[in-house]
Amino acid sequence: MSSKTKPDKTTIGLLALIVTQSACSVFFLSDAVADIIADGMAALNDVHLHVEMVATLSLIVAVILEGRFLVRLLRRNAHAERGLSIASGALHDLMEQYFHEWGLTPSEADVATFAIKGLDIAEIAEVRGTAEGTVKAHLNAIYRKSGTSGRGALLGLLVDDLLAQPLIERKEPPKDVPKASGLA
Amino acid sequence: MKNVKVWDPLIRIFHWSLVICFISNALITDPESQLHRQIGYVVVGLVAFRIIWGFVGSRHARFRDFPPSISGSVGQLSDMATGRKRIHVGHTPLGALMIYNLIVTLIGIAITGYIMTTLRFWGIEWVKELHEICVTWAEFSVVAHIAAVVWESRRTGVNLPKAMVTGSKTLPTEV
Ligand code: HEM
Ligand code: HEM
Repeated sequence: MSSKTKPDKTTIGLLALIVTQSACSVFFLSDAVADIIADGMAALNDVHLHVEMVATLSLIVAVILEGRFLVRLLRRNAHAERGLSIASGALHDLMEQYFHEWGLTPSEADVATFAIKGLDIAEIAEVRGTAEGTVKAHLNAIYRKSGTSGRGALLGLLVDDLLAQPLIERKEPPKDVPKASGLA
Repeated sequence: MKNVKVWDPLIRIFHWSLVICFISNALITDPESQLHRQIGYVVVGLVAFRIIWGFVGSRHARFRDFPPSISGSVGQLSDMATGRKRIHVGHTPLGALMIYNLIVTLIGIAITGYIMTTLRFWGIEWVKELHEICVTWAEFSVVAHIAAVVWESRRTGVNLPKAMVTGSKTLPTEV
């Protein structure tokens, strides 16, 4: 069973960028290595080579950063199946922040998300393609790392935080709509 | 745990012959020797066989069983990012992309290698250059291929190299 949701344009664009830049890095790097092998230590005095190396290294750093961004994007999309409302975005950010603080693994963070959404153990196991015993082990680790006693306490923690700050920023009414009709 | 037959004997012979031939030509043989070309032609034969087998072979050997798919690949990446385990009996979507990449690159190596030996292109620098570029890309791809196989084996708990030797994948029964 593969996911039926079509990947969005940002994901595909980011992927294409990562693939292209990785391919370029491979060639620049192999070129530089070939230069060093051919010219030996003399190549290291070549300013041209230095500039090339700096450019290549920055390209590699860019690829790594894009990769990390892609991971975050994929996680967010995997959890936002019901549409990207402002509320689920804010909740998601808050959850990610906590998961990071507690040092949850990607699997534990995924299980925690589903537990908070109200799925039971059998359902989580089904979505994740794992055994129920594995899900139970993940849940235990989540409760231990977060210092909560169970699902209720975990949910309470998040709700407390959400209520402590305004969830939705008040927006100015759109300019092209007359104010009076806004009440109708 | 249950065993599922996945790779037929010909796929496995193809794979390990290709491994031997590729490593020989990339690392061992003298590129100017006759042996280099002979091994290169064996690779051509292997790839040609694989393409035919992709249409008439056993179930998981067919290209139809692993079409290039962007949405499938993004799905597999999402599984990795969230630690989910979706077991694929045949090739995974990302694995499929790697296979097409390897096959196309090998064809590129073969074509540039062959035309280097023809009188018309003898000693022309850009052909040799192109042959080398294709080989570099193939070497990088192979390293990525092996890393991906090891990574996916550890992530999903299914020993993929073993399956390429014995032909059977050992899958957890719960799924
Ligand atoms: C898996 C297949 C192959 C691999 C991995 C491979 C690899 C290589 C490598 C690493 C070189 C050295 C490039 C250099 O630094 O000069 C080379 C050169 C060469 N290859 Fe291949 N090759 C393959 C297939 C072929 C085929 C099919 C042919 C021809 C039928 C061929 C003909 C040549 C020739 C003529 C050279 C140039 C030798 C010279 O004059 O320096 N190769 N190949
Ligand atoms: C020790 C090194 C290698 C190991 C352990 C290895 C392992 C594997 C495994 C486990 C698969 C199946 C992937 C899957 O389950 O979807 C596979 C497929 C494949 N590998 Fe490798 N591989 C190695 C080296 C190579 C090399 C050097 C090449 C070629 C240049 C290569 C080309 C391929 C191709 C073309 C396939 C697709 C098989 C098919 O369906 O025809 N591999 N490899």
